[in-house]
Amino acid sequence: MSNAREKKRAKKMRNQPASVTLSSDCGPCPSGIQHHNGGSRSFQTPKQDLHPDSSQEFQQQRHQHQSPGPSYRKEQYFSKGQGRGRGGWRGGRQNVSQEMPKYITASTFAQARAAEINAMLKAVTQKSSNSLVFQTLPRHMRRRAMSHNIKRLPRRLREIARKEAEKAVHQKKEHSKNKCRKARRRHVNLVVEFNRRQKKNIWLETHIWHAKRFHMVKKWGYCLGDRPTTKSYRACYRAMTKHCLLQDLSYYCCLELNGKEEELLKVLARMCSIDTGPTFAAVPCLSGRLQGSLVLYRADRYPEDLLGPITFIWKPKDGSGITSETRQLWIWTHPSLKQDILTELKTVFQCSEPVETCSPEPIVTLLQEEKQTDVAMIVGKKRKREDNEGEKAVPVKKIIGDGTRVPLESYCWTSQTTGVVISDLTMEILRYRLIGPLSHCVLTEALKTASIQTEMADAETELNNWWVENCKNSEKVSLHQRQEAIFELLQGINSPSEIAAGTILGLTVGDPRVNLPKKSSKAMPNPEKYQGKEDLHRSWSCAQWKPLSNHTDDPDNEKVRQLLLEGVPVECAHSFIWDQTICKNVTENKIPEQDLNHMRGELLVPGSQLDLGPCESKIPILLVQQPGKVAGEDRPGWGSGWDIYLPKGWGMAFWIPFIYRGARVGGLQEGLKHSEYKRTPHIPNDFPDCPAGIQFAKELENVLLEKFKRRPPAKRANYVKLGTLAPFLCPWGQLTRDWEVRNKAQEESVVTSSADSKSGATERQVPCEPKPGLTIEDSQGDIMEEMAKIQNLCKEDGAATSSGFFVLRNRKLLKQLSARCRPTCGKGQRVRPASKLGQKEMTEDALLSIFKCYPRVLVWVSLSLLRKGSPELHAMICIPTQEDFLQLNKDQLFCGPQEPKHSDIFKHKILKLKERKKKKNNGNALESGASDALEAKAVEEPKELILGLWPDPLPDVTSHCSRILLGFVTQGDFSLAAGCGEALGFVNLTGLLHMLSSQPTDKKGLVLLRTPASLQYRFARLNIEV
Amino acid sequence: MAEPAPPAAELALRRRLPPRLPRRPGDVYVNMQTDFKAQLSRCQKLLGPGGGCAEICIHGLGLAINRAINIALQLQAGGAGALRLAANTSTVPLADGLEPQGDEDGRPPLARARNNSAIHIRVCRAAPPP
Repeated sequence: MSNAREKKRAKKMRNQPASVTLSSDCGPCPSGIQHHNGGSRSFQTPKQDLHPDSSQEFQQQRHQHQSPGPSYRKEQYFSKGQGRGRGGWRGGRQNVSQEMPKYITASTFAQARAAEINAMLKAVTQKSSNSLVFQTLPRHMRRRAMSHNIKRLPRRLREIARKEAEKAVHQKKEHSKNKCRKARRRHVNLVVEFNRRQKKNIWLETHIWHAKRFHMVKKWGYCLGDRPTTKSYRACYRAMTKHCLLQDLSYYCCLELNGKEEELLKVLARMCSIDTGPTFAAVPCLSGRLQGSLVLYRADRYPEDLLGPITFIWKPKDGSGITSETRQLWIWTHPSLKQDILTELKTVFQCSEPVETCSPEPIVTLLQEEKQTDVAMIVGKKRKREDNEGEKAVPVKKIIGDGTRVPLESYCWTSQTTGVVISDLTMEILRYRLIGPLSHCVLTEALKTASIQTEMADAETELNNWWVENCKNSEKVSLHQRQEAIFELLQGINSPSEIAAGTILGLTVGDPRVNLPKKSSKAMPNPEKYQGKEDLHRSWSCAQWKPLSNHTDDPDNEKVRQLLLEGVPVECAHSFIWDQTICKNVTENKIPEQDLNHMRGELLVPGSQLDLGPCESKIPILLVQQPGKVAGEDRPGWGSGWDIYLPKGWGMAFWIPFIYRGARVGGLQEGLKHSEYKRTPHIPNDFPDCPAGIQFAKELENVLLEKFKRRPPAKRANYVKLGTLAPFLCPWGQLTRDWEVRNKAQEESVVTSSADSKSGATERQVPCEPKPGLTIEDSQGDIMEEMAKIQNLCKEDGAATSSGFFVLRNRKLLKQLSARCRPTCGKGQRVRPASKLGQKEMTEDALLSIFKCYPRVLVWVSLSLLRKGSPELHAMICIPTQEDFLQLNKDQLFCGPQEPKHSDIFKHKILKLKERKKKKNNGNALESGASDALEAKAVEEPKELILGLWPDPLPDVTSHCSRILLGFVTQGDFSLAAGCGEALGFVNLTGLLHMLSSQPTDKKGLVLLRTPASLQYRFARLNIEV
Repeated sequence: MAEPAPPAAELALRRRLPPRLPRRPGDVYVNMQTDFKAQLSRCQKLLGPGGGCAEICIHGLGLAINRAINIALQLQAGGAGALRLAANTSTVPLADGLEPQGDEDGRPPLARARNNSAIHIRVCRAAPPP
């Protein structure tokens, strides 16, 4: 019997009585044989469950009952009936026919039959299918609208149908749409509904806009747009490279630190290391000119215990250089990292007391709102939603913090000892990202700097009062004019990557809704704005390209040059967005969209420019340049752009103007692609050593595993056969451990072998480096010092290091490694000058001994495929053998070796288990008690054994396949930017050094890549970009 | 800082993109990454019947000057005397970003200026196409 039929049958027989037994007190049993005779049929009935055509059987038995003739007749009858039956029956029949009874006792026999009939009657009355009553009726008895009106049913079924209908009503949920559509769409009710829906996952201000156009996902306590519903993969890429891609990054969290500069620096220095690059104390960042980025560690725990990458901005100093003044610092983190970083900051700064005085807003405003609001207050403290359509003056619902935090909890903490105040400004400041060369054009066209205003529009309102105050001060006016001039200059620069990375420009702009164009258009650069206006046409149009240097007499040119070389001056980084009260004022005094439209409607000339005059809001913003691709040699400055920081409440007011200037909007997926093409690690995917990264990997594994299990076993990849140990998760811990073991084993073997062979090996390696003696004398001392320091550090942390792995982020060491990975002769020679930048060329031994201190370290690498192939997530990075290189030399078109097929050693086990399970299910009725132990075992085991997956304790991951495993890919795809398959991932440092030391010089850095669902290896070039 | 720190040890040099004017349809910026043939065929297409450009400008900077000249000459050779070249040279000021590697002060400039040679070759049809 086929599996499917069996299942179907089992389902059908589910509600049948399990066994029909004759009650023991059915009277005296004269003899065993008699009883056997009488009962034999009845005891066999349950076994007949397997019989396919029960109706036939049923009739047979009824027939028996009606004519309880001599038993032999009956048996004959049976044998005739069962001739058509299944083979399983035959044995039973033979048995029965062998023991032909000589006589039967009427009473026992009748009793047995009665029990059978009872069982059958019960089975008949019980409904076996889960269809409704009227669905079971034959077709000719069905009537229209039967499900609504029971009276259309035959009378005998009405009672059952009534019960069913009642049950259905109970099961139905409380009807939510009890109001009519008009009532539901009323604005107040709509807001209530929206507020309810964003209780769990906060909406960004652009949510409604996104929800209409994007696949939304719930992540990190927010509802975020994942990818556009339209086909736009390539279009988004083109926007990134040629025009402008817009992203809403308002879900990023801002933590504000307030305190004395030395205090802050002293403590923050414990959380980061100078080895990984400039820290909080870096001069250009500290002055407030540039945005900085770094990775945070738990205090004093570097290089382990990563917290995550952040970007930070210092508020520029106001007064003259007194160092002890209080400074303001913004730390921007990804929401998945926020909790860890916040708790660590609190413990480090000993900020445990919630500040009551500092946070009057949540409580006070709440109270006020509760008095004012009618409906919205029921929903709790939820922010007012901004809509791009008209919105009424619904009381502003302020939300502080994000959905991941407990409401009513304070968001501001202070410390008694240091006086440092930490506040959580999540969702207080919006952040949009513009990527692409023309983001300048979009910005400059969409935003107009605020006009100087010296008197209030209306004495009663608070609108713009801060700006009027500011405009009274001539110094500040001149500052504003300078900022304006720089903003104007931006139009003359072709790409954001031409100015210094992380440049900050503060600005105060007018309401962007006022000069919204009637039609959406693509912002294009205006040649008029470019340098050398008057002779531009002459020079450019007839290719008499006059270089910029020839126009030094032109003041505009000079300014652009200065901007490019020196960046934005410190004063111009100042913005009012740092001031909480001003931000609050701006948010509260926003002119609603509806009023604006009303005013537009009242214009004398329809469609003319609206002039609000003094009523126009002034909004403080912050523009921060985002460097594009900085590491590596190709495509410098790719994907650079601007981040714009706005006070909350103004989201849609800025969003729509940007889109009207031709910016294309991307979601999370586009963000991922952007970082992939930039070859930068993405948060939190590519931080396997921080808690958020571990969490992310686990979630991803579950998702992929579920997806895998949904397919039938025959239609999915058998990863055991493919030799892929972990297709859904990168086992970093085991990888590093295995390499450590391997390394130790090798060392031992080296030690046992003769010493001269070892020296010979090192001598052989030395010529690989063309200039081994290039080491600068004075820097040698530094290196030794550093080496000793690192060794000490490693010894101290030896115990802790053994527990886990971490990622190497020491820039100096990475540079050394990067120089080592390049081919040192042949084609790649042009690349060589880069090693001049790396200067301190260490000797092989010195380097090796440093890296020996890092037994469990991963290195971030980028790989580009030599020929065919596009790598996927979790692809394996392997070491090529000598034969592979030989073949590559022989045949230039050689794609790569093949992995021999592995045998699935678990398949047999799984099948056996399945068999046992099936048997158990069949024999359930017979031996329900005895099979308990077996059942428990059977339930446990299948959880671990999934056909096509290696069960949990993995064997040695490095040597499982024919090529030694080095690491895994965390991002990989065909790169539209590079035109070939590209991957990013981590490799084990020990393994990498092992590989590099044995590779020929012209093939340095070549590895093999294999995707989890394929046996084909592909050659790829490994690069470490610093 | 008391000691004059060697700038190369403390700073990393990052080359920025050269300034360029907005691109018209007839502008071809020659680079060294793209295949020579592809760049040549691109110019040919622009000048060809469906290209829609009566004249094109080939810009080459630094190392790419050679290649720009090469492309222009190849175009002329393939054009059977119908194309005329007009070359112009210039100097393009470039900026290299300097990134401090540590927190040390010293007021490093954000960028360093340097100049590079460039060539701009105008390729136009000598006579209107028949």
